[in-house]
This record gives sequence, C-alpha cells and structure tokens, in this order.
Amino acid sequence: MSDKREQRVDDGLDRGRAFQFSVDGETVTAYPGESIAAAMLAAGRAAARRTAKRREPRGYHCGMGVCWDCVMVVDGVTDTRTCRTEAKPGMRVETQHGVGQRT
Amino acid sequence: MIEVDLAILGAGPAGLAAAGEAVAHGLRVAVVDDNPRAGGQYFRQPPAQFRRDGGSWFDKEATRVAELLRVLDHPSITYLPDTVVWDVPAPDTLAVAGGERSGRVRGRALLIAAGAHDRPVPFPGWTLPGVISAGGAQNLLKGNRIVPGRRIVVAGNGPLLFVVAASLVRAGAEVAAVVEAAPINRRLLHAWPSMLAAPKILRQALDYRLSLLRAGVPVRTGMTVVAARGADAVQDAAIAPIALDGSVDRAVSETIACDALVVGFGLTPSVELLRLIGCELGYNRGRGGWLAVRSDRMETSVANVFAAGDGAAIGGVEIALLEGRLVGLEVAARLGRAGNAEQRRAALRDQLDRTDKFRRAIEAIFAGPSHYLGLLTADTVVCRCEEVTHGELQARQAEALDSMIQLKSTTRAGMGRCQGRNCMATLASIVSEASGTPIAGLNYPRTRPPVRPIAIGDLLHEPIPPPDLPADPHLPRRQNAS
Ligand code: FES
Repeated sequence: MSDKREQRVDDGLDRGRAFQFSVDGETVTAYPGESIAAAMLAAGRAAARRTAKRREPRGYHCGMGVCWDCVMVVDGVTDTRTCRTEAKPGMRVETQHGVGQRT
Repeated sequence: MIEVDLAILGAGPAGLAAAGEAVAHGLRVAVVDDNPRAGGQYFRQPPAQFRRDGGSWFDKEATRVAELLRVLDHPSITYLPDTVVWDVPAPDTLAVAGGERSGRVRGRALLIAAGAHDRPVPFPGWTLPGVISAGGAQNLLKGNRIVPGRRIVVAGNGPLLFVVAASLVRAGAEVAAVVEAAPINRRLLHAWPSMLAAPKILRQALDYRLSLLRAGVPVRTGMTVVAARGADAVQDAAIAPIALDGSVDRAVSETIACDALVVGFGLTPSVELLRLIGCELGYNRGRGGWLAVRSDRMETSVANVFAAGDGAAIGGVEIALLEGRLVGLEVAARLGRAGNAEQRRAALRDQLDRTDKFRRAIEAIFAGPSHYLGLLTADTVVCRCEEVTHGELQARQAEALDSMIQLKSTTRAGMGRCQGRNCMATLASIVSEASGTPIAGLNYPRTRPPVRPIAIGDLLHEPIPPPDLPADPHLPRRQNAS
C-alpha cells in the first residue's frame, strides 16, 4: 500500500523517521508519536472493527477515547482503543470482530 | 490519599487556568486528567517526537499553550495524567484509576472541568467508518497533523464546523462542502455590532471564513446531511434542506462524493460527574444541553464544588480560561490567601462579560433546528455501543414504555461503553417529542460509578473501608447487625 503522504500535513513539521506496522497482515506506514488510528486513516483505512450484533464496520469516530468504535486487537490485546494508542514499529494490529475477550 | 487545597478534574483550558491562579496565591493543587498529555481538546498538542519550526498556522497557539502548561511544573502541583476519575465518593473526594496512580484525591474545594463532547445526531449511515465527529477531526489534526480523508464533507451546526473546515483547508485537504443547518446568512447582519465586543475572536472567525472563501469551498446553509452511504467506509453523503422546526425535505436531496464525512452538531458539556455528585443541572439548548447551575463564583449547588469551562456550559476557550481563573481566585479567597481578590475578580468578570456578549451573538447566529429526529429511519442505529435502532425504540414506545429510564432498561440503549454519551441526548429528544414534556422536565437515568470504564486491576489500589462504616443496605446482613 502506498504511503498517502498527502493526508499528513507537512507545514513546518519534521516527523522523524517513518516505520512500518501491520494491519490484518498489510503494511502501514507511521511516524513516531502517531496513533494507530491516525496512521491507518492516513493510509486510507477507516475500518477498525465489526460489531457483534449487526456485523457492521466501525472506525475512528470521536477521537477522544469516548466512543470505543476504534477498538482493535493490538499485539493480541483486544479492546485496544487505537485513537489513544501509539503505533510502534512491527506492531500487529487486527480487525476486532464482535466484543473482545474480557480478561 | 493525596490531600490538597483545590482538586481539579481536567487539564484543559479551565482546569489549567484555575491551577495557575490557585498556585499563584500559594495553594496546593492536584490536577487529574484522563489524557496522557495536558491541554484538553482545544490546546491538544502533537506528540513530543514531532519537531516543529513554529511558523505553521497550526502552531499559532503554541506560545499560549506553553505558558498555560508551565503551571504543571510548579512545586505545589500534583499532576496525574492518564488518570480517570471513576467515582466521587464524597463531594470533596475524587476516586481515581490509572495503574500506579490509583487511589483518592481530596480537596478543600473541587473543580470539575470535564470539557465537552460532540452532541450526537444519528442519521442513516452515521456509524460507517469515515464518518468522524468534529472533535475527532480536530484531534486528528491537532494531535497527529493528519486529515481524515482526501475529499471531505463537513456537516452539522455551529461555529465549530467552520473552524474544522478552515483547518482542513489549511492542512491541504479538499473540502467538498460545508453543510450548516442554521440559516446563518440572513442573521449575520444583525449580529455584527455585538461581535465587536471581542475583536480578537472576531478576527479569528474572519480568518476561518476567508480561508474557506479563498479555497472556493461551497457553504450550504439551511441544509443537513441526511445519509452517509458506502460499503466498508463512507463513499458519499446525501444532503437536504432542514427547517428550524426540524422537518426535513428529502425530496430535494443531493449527493456529494467524499471519503470522509465530518459531522458536528455542536458540543455538549460532559456533566456525568456533576450528575453523580448531585449538583443541580439545568437545560439550555444554546449552551449545549444539560449544564451546571452555578453562582457567579462558578460554584455549583453543592458547596465548594465548582464547575468551569465547556464542561459546565459551552462557551469556548476564552470563557473557559476566565472561568478557571475565577475559580482559582475564589478558592484562594475562601482560604484567606487571595489578598485584594475584589479588584482582580472585577477585572476577570468584566472580561468574561464582554466575551459572553460575543458568545451570545454567535449563539443567535447559529441557533439550529429544535431537533434532528427527522433524520431517523427505523433502521438507524441510535445507540452505537449496544446497536439499538430507532425502530426498536419505537416498538417500546408503542408498548407505552416511553420514559428515558424505561427505554434504557428495556433496550439497553445507553448501557454500552460510551456510557450514554452518544445516545442519551437522542433518547431525550425522542421521549420529549412523543410526550410533549420539555427535555428539562424529563427524568434522567441515574449515573452510577464507575462513570468511565476502568480496569479491574486499578481497583486493587482502592482503600479497604474501615469496619465501622455506617450500615449500607447494599451490603450483606452482617454489616447491618449491631
Ligand atoms: S475514536 Fe472514539 S474511542 Fe477511539
């Protein structure tokens, strides 16, 4: 997948060195400090999970940790709010289907 | 247990301003904030790793932010970031959860500066990925310097729409249209004179409007988004005229292609904690809905519990800063630490009154439709968390289960993880329209702790209650026997 750089604002900004992580096995580019959800949106991926009842796709919505629609399975941990979680090199992020395992 | 003079919930403009004022008068202060980084929504900053040259349009508040944040380094401040307040067991005590920081914070006075969130307005397709709240779009821009799509429609009601749209344009995104529900153009002429009361904000507003004009962004007024469509993400938005009585004319709808739809129907104060404490709440549509009833000292109906900023009543950042300072000053005065508080208070009040005049003008221009229930179809999801549709709610209403409390307990609407923030306002409109009872007169379901989802592990830090507590009817009999 190409790095859609144009969704990142460059105005007077040095983001440092790009790195990669994976979303459902596909490579997504991020810069240090970006949230998983932000890097995904910049790569043109809006969907984060599928709901339990209606199997509907959902994604980043409130951007402030309130709606829980951005939750994904991050390195095996379900119910991770990707709007509040920083992307890290080599991270494995997967679509969450239904409710997460409550531990 | 952390014990201070002033315990503040929220490190946004109001909380930080209050903290600054309070430590200036020698008070000990604790600031608890849910976010990992201080600043709240308005002053949200990009991560430290981003190197900025400071010249960007997006850094125009950088100096003010730095000044405001400096207070957190003050030796009299205990700052707990990334920490959730999940209960207020007594009106002077916050129960906080955040791993190692979990426990209790007690203050001789309490300030709830919880901020606001987007007023939810459901319409077919509003749950599709790519449909993003105005606050969410702002956070993406401010916190990550990323725009949510390449061709964006911005729709809803209120001044924030124009701020978001202008910011997106400045960020280089294509804004396909701004869709504003209120007929703002006809009202602008009358409002001009009172807007001169706050020239700084007026200049900012003009800057936003000019950005849109220069980019040639069409601004459609008296219209609303009626549907978002797409398979796995939004692909287009349908818009149609809406009247001030809430009636929608779908017959003349048009479709705009987009890969992101930003919706913002105004903000609503996050009053959950005030509700939990038992502070008297009022209802004022123009200031966001349910809000704190306060004295001119920003004190709620519960003594020594203060509320300030957008979390008390929507007023914007300048008002939040002034209210925060007033609270800091008031608490210092009550503890006999403020010196000539009278003079300072008068100066702050004067600024507040002028800013409020501007706010009222803006409120009048953007006064929107009385409700958006015309956007609902039977299949529209109203409660996003529990996936409850408007049709399911209507079926319950037909069974005469028509109070907010009954609808909540029989459908699970409002019981999900957002804890009603994304649906209770809609439930209120539905019940109010059906029953003819104004929203202010509806019985609101009780708020119970935890008011935010927390990890069970955080409760391990809970103090063990001493055995001589007064009898609690919820506990097993053993406790009640004398
Ligand atoms: S986008 Fe709402 S919680 Fe992450």
